Amino acid sequence: MSTTFRFSKTLAVLAGAALALTACGGGATTGAGAKDGGTVTYWSMWKVGEPQQKVIADAITDFEKQTGATVKVQWQGRSNTTKLVPALNTNNVPDIVDGAYAKLAPVLGNTGEALPLTDAYATVVDGKKVSDLIPSKYLAASNIKGADGQPWMLPYSLSSDAIWFNAAKNPGLVTAPPANWDGFMALLNKEKAAGQVPLAADGDIAGYNSAWFSNLVIHSEGPGSFAKIAADKTGAAWDSPAVLAAAQKVQQLAQGGYLINGYNASKWPAQQQAWANGGAELLLNGSWIPTETGTYAAKGFQYSSFPFPGVTGRPAMARADFVGWAIPKKAKNPALAQKLAAFMLNKKYQDAYGTRALVLPIRADALTAPEMATVKKALDNATEVYQADDGVTFPGYTTKVYWPIDDELFLGKINATQFVAKMKTAQIAYWKAQG
Amino acid sequence: MSAPTIKRTGRAPAPAQKPERGPGGSSIDRQRRKLLVPFVGPAFVFYTILFIVPAIAAAWISLNEWAGSGPMTFVGFKNYIQVFQDPLFVKSFINTLLLLFVVGAVIFILAFAMTLVLRDMAGKKVVRNVIFFPHLVNALVFGVLAGFIFNPGGMVNTLLKPFGVTESPAWLAQDNIFPLIMATMVATTTGYFTTILMAGVDRIPPYFYEDCALAGATAFQRLRYVILPLTWDVFGTCAVLWTISSIKIFEIIWVFGGSSGAGIPPTQSWTTAVYTYVTAFSGQSTPAYGAATASAIISLALVSVLVVLLRRAMRRDAIEF
Repeated sequence: MSTTFRFSKTLAVLAGAALALTACGGGATTGAGAKDGGTVTYWSMWKVGEPQQKVIADAITDFEKQTGATVKVQWQGRSNTTKLVPALNTNNVPDIVDGAYAKLAPVLGNTGEALPLTDAYATVVDGKKVSDLIPSKYLAASNIKGADGQPWMLPYSLSSDAIWFNAAKNPGLVTAPPANWDGFMALLNKEKAAGQVPLAADGDIAGYNSAWFSNLVIHSEGPGSFAKIAADKTGAAWDSPAVLAAAQKVQQLAQGGYLINGYNASKWPAQQQAWANGGAELLLNGSWIPTETGTYAAKGFQYSSFPFPGVTGRPAMARADFVGWAIPKKAKNPALAQKLAAFMLNKKYQDAYGTRALVLPIRADALTAPEMATVKKALDNATEVYQADDGVTFPGYTTKVYWPIDDELFLGKINATQFVAKMKTAQIAYWKAQG
Repeated sequence: MSAPTIKRTGRAPAPAQKPERGPGGSSIDRQRRKLLVPFVGPAFVFYTILFIVPAIAAAWISLNEWAGSGPMTFVGFKNYIQVFQDPLFVKSFINTLLLLFVVGAVIFILAFAMTLVLRDMAGKKVVRNVIFFPHLVNALVFGVLAGFIFNPGGMVNTLLKPFGVTESPAWLAQDNIFPLIMATMVATTTGYFTTILMAGVDRIPPYFYEDCALAGATAFQRLRYVILPLTWDVFGTCAVLWTISSIKIFEIIWVFGGSSGAGIPPTQSWTTAVYTYVTAFSGQSTPAYGAATASAIISLALVSVLVVLLRRAMRRDAIEF
């Protein structure tokens, strides 16, 4: 086996070199001298140059000036939470990280590695306690609370979803959007009859596909209902008629010829590009879509949206996924990190998120961009909020059980009855394997 | 022509070396033994720290339930049972084997064919560079290109339209992605192995070919009796290299499906490497490091067994010429 040995030897040397280089990188960022106000290390999900990064960088500069503290920030990008997992086993733990709830919960919240942010929530910012600045309906989403009942995450912005359209082409939808699923289907049929392609969807993104089924279940059964179905070890929850009805609605979409031809064999962002250029009328997608498609949208495109069709008689609901900060329990300077987090919720920065970064700030009194007006209104009107895929984070459930089978339904390979049966079987097997 | 003892040539990586027969008589042998520790020592230490220790740690983690941080619970072989019972793992495993054997066979048949054609071709150096080039290109590029080429409104369908093809195949449908990846692997890897094999073929002295010509051997006979036996050790090395690299194929699958990293590739195209990665780092759910390392250990076992079997099957006495 001398060949393999040699091969591995080369690898070993390469790995050693890589390690040495990484070590140098780490040394450079942690070696700087600290000022009197203490030092806090921040691993950010944003990369240099992104609009959100600029806002946070400004806030950090102000914080350092006012408190004399030093913030050692690393703009790591979205992989910061992935890097956090191994770091938690070492002494090189950041004092504060930011990320979406769906990314922070699996590595910090659910594993009990996050610090309760009681102090941050009690801090007074702009004359009000932080806990009062954040609309209570978002805080009521119990899943950011740890086992001790204290929140471990401090959100600074929200992502939501909506059905997007070009208001310049469809002004009627601004004033009279469909009120429920039947109205929505009537709209699709009307457009189809008029020779238009009603709907676009990037079918290769399982998380976009699953939004239809998850949202339908949540809108008819209430927030938390999908998580409850997923947690059912007997799989019996899939027998409910409401679940089948939701699946039938997805089947209707997939098999009714409403989507751009070839949506099931394309690569993101081809379909949202097609939509932004008038290839289809409607698109179910996140609140980030104006920023994401802005560069290639047709001339004169006016972003507008209406909320996911609700169920008559049910309270108004909106998807609200948190993006925010969390502090690991192992942080060296948790007090200063909490102070920093609270500081960054100043209205000045919250306004900047809305107007410069075009996202939805968490504070209800913060300014938002015109593109976000309809989503903001839907969020303000909502009495109940839910998270994408209902915040399910069981190990591998989403990626190995739910998404692959939901893809088959949304891409038109199976029908609603088959979907429900497959999900039930797969879920029973999943929970049995989990033991 | 064939010598019973194995002589190190220093050109191609040496085949499995048997212990020296006569216990070190010559001074060269003694010198060699003296240099063993200073030369092999550092590499051995590196190898132990960077590979053996993590491998043992991985074996231990695979017996536990662990989210990557926080408490670890010992669960014995539960992770292995869970992984083997997961139809997705079985599917990923089959895909890995498809890459290893089917793609491997195609690559080597093509590489040998090209070697034969290129040997007598004018401008073979240029051609060799051209076919080697795809190997230098990052897999990410192919992943992104796949979109441009195969999207419903992409290049292929646009080119097919003038020929009256309006109902073109759904190239990037979930079930078609893996065959496309296999084809891409063939296209990018053939040149690499052709280059290595050609280096072996080039050192065959021309008088063997002259001999063949005089004896009236056909092209196939020339391959069978001259080229194959004289490049056997090179071929064996290539086979081991391919085995090791094919089992680790990851990034091309990651970027080919699943929108260049914005999502997760469809399960139809997963390999064990992708399965391992998603289990530990999907970012969508609580990491399952135990199950992920169990899957990685299974892959490691697979590589080890295959390499040993391959070395055994390919074992021939090296031919000196």
